[in-house]
Amino acid sequence: MAAITNEKADRLPVYPIACGVNRKLLNGGKGVSYRDWCHDPKLFAQAFIEGQKYFDFDMAIGLMDLSVMAGDLGAHVRMDEQNTPFVDKHIVNSLEDYEKFEVPDIKKGRSGVLIEGTRLFSKALAGQVITAGFLEGPLLALSQTAGAERMFMDMFTDPSAIHKALKVITDYDAEMVKAFGTTGCNGLCWDYLWANYSCLGDAEYGEFEAPYAQKLNKLTGENGMALAIHNCADLPHLDTQITKFKPAIYSMAYYPLIPGSPSASEVIEKGYADNCLVGGQIDPQLFIRGTVEKISKVTSDLCHEVKTALCKRGLNGRYCIASGCEVPPDINTKLENIKAVVDVTKKEGRLN
Amino acid sequence: MFSVLIVTTEYDRLAYQTHRRVCLSKEEILNKLSDAVVTGKIDQAKAGAKEALAAKMEALTAINEGLVKGMSIVGDRYAAHQVYLPQVLMSAHTMYAGLDILLPAIPKAQADNMTKCTVAVVEGDVHDIGKNIVKTMLTAGGYDCIDLGKDVPTEKIVSTAEKEKVKIVALSTLMTPTMDGMKDVVDGLVESGYRSKVKVCIGGPPTSPAFAKEIGADHRDSNAQDCVAWLKKAV
Repeated sequence: MAAITNEKADRLPVYPIACGVNRKLLNGGKGVSYRDWCHDPKLFAQAFIEGQKYFDFDMAIGLMDLSVMAGDLGAHVRMDEQNTPFVDKHIVNSLEDYEKFEVPDIKKGRSGVLIEGTRLFSKALAGQVITAGFLEGPLLALSQTAGAERMFMDMFTDPSAIHKALKVITDYDAEMVKAFGTTGCNGLCWDYLWANYSCLGDAEYGEFEAPYAQKLNKLTGENGMALAIHNCADLPHLDTQITKFKPAIYSMAYYPLIPGSPSASEVIEKGYADNCLVGGQIDPQLFIRGTVEKISKVTSDLCHEVKTALCKRGLNGRYCIASGCEVPPDINTKLENIKAVVDVTKKEGRLN
Repeated sequence: MFSVLIVTTEYDRLAYQTHRRVCLSKEEILNKLSDAVVTGKIDQAKAGAKEALAAKMEALTAINEGLVKGMSIVGDRYAAHQVYLPQVLMSAHTMYAGLDILLPAIPKAQADNMTKCTVAVVEGDVHDIGKNIVKTMLTAGGYDCIDLGKDVPTEKIVSTAEKEKVKIVALSTLMTPTMDGMKDVVDGLVESGYRSKVKVCIGGPPTSPAFAKEIGADHRDSNAQDCVAWLKKAV
């Protein structure tokens, strides 16, 4: 909490975004399938609780996956037993289909699991760590439901059709915000993925998501939750999403091979951590493909990079050592690598 | 006699103006095709393609100096962050609308000379925007592209490469768990004995040059235009 408020902190906070992977700790260590985990609020919550006991994180953010809303809006979701499910059949085949969107019953489907699961783990972990719900932004949910390519082209040729669907999805999001507001979680983390200069410019993002996001950001605060934003894109719109949206926490990734992708120190040097706890940017792949030695070295290097940049900027612990995106919920993800990130940060992330 | 000459001359002038209105010059047709792609106007691309053929222009000239020229402009603007994905996708669809008319008019001998390649999103992944952009740039680069789509089984990619005698296999994935599908394709090409006859390129956010080397692929890129430039030298 000290890191968020820029008060004197004893170390950098740490949270590899371990969500679905925690299900491997359930059932006495035998794990449960992804399908079971994401359809049962008790299993969903218990995974975060067990993850906290095992890894000793500083946060718990209730991310399920990015096909929750699309599935409840009617798209077909291909469920994987041991990995992230995804939409394999979209529901928009013509411009008229954008007008058929309806807000689903959020007590049913996986929306209901998400809310009830968040309620359970937020209650169990209250006072121990910062807890947050997780919700897809309107443009992300629409792209998952309609198909991204179709949506992008329709934005170009028939923007009014897109806005009709976005208004309905914003209403859906608003109902979800109000429900999350009753769960006791400290914050709500939004995924506004398309704020990415590889995909949309300021004008497009300003037309197709920012106004809806601003409404939902305001509603988040009105419902007693701190605003958090996750954006694992390569070239995020930091001026819009940090400077303008003013989140308490901003989670981001780093793509060293993409020119212009901002590193942790660059983000701090440019002032984005002045009023926001920025989190990132360990490559999620390392949790599957890396060794403990490799990921420990990467974590140690990141701690030192961040501490140097924070010191130059006159900031305290305003950076959370985290993965740039979710730790893959893949069955092959190595739990020891997650543990290594936490342990190394607690040692190397100490602040004088 | 004098009045007849005047009438005839006036008739010729009007006829010439009408002809100019109906029949554009070669340069005007090519500009029309290029502009159609840059501005994402599908009907204009279709009309320009038909006009090119009606004017007895070689189809490959209309493609390369019209449609492809336009797509190259869009590619440069995208790389410079002057236009974004919605515009690029519309331009790509516009180029394909023109190609649908012009490609069948390419003489078989010329078509057979085009280097064949296949593009696919590996099995288990349905995110295909990146693959579609690579396909567009390969097509704009003069390659004959076989698009296998998304969520494509390894066996299909390998068998298509062999059957169609492709020189390039371009693979894409957005997700970490499906990266292993790229290795499966490379391994499948090795097992089939076709690996030495083909260049394998990979792309997608979780991939890296190190991963390409690890799985035995030839190249990894994060930029479709750069990938085409690499292939021009490598193949």
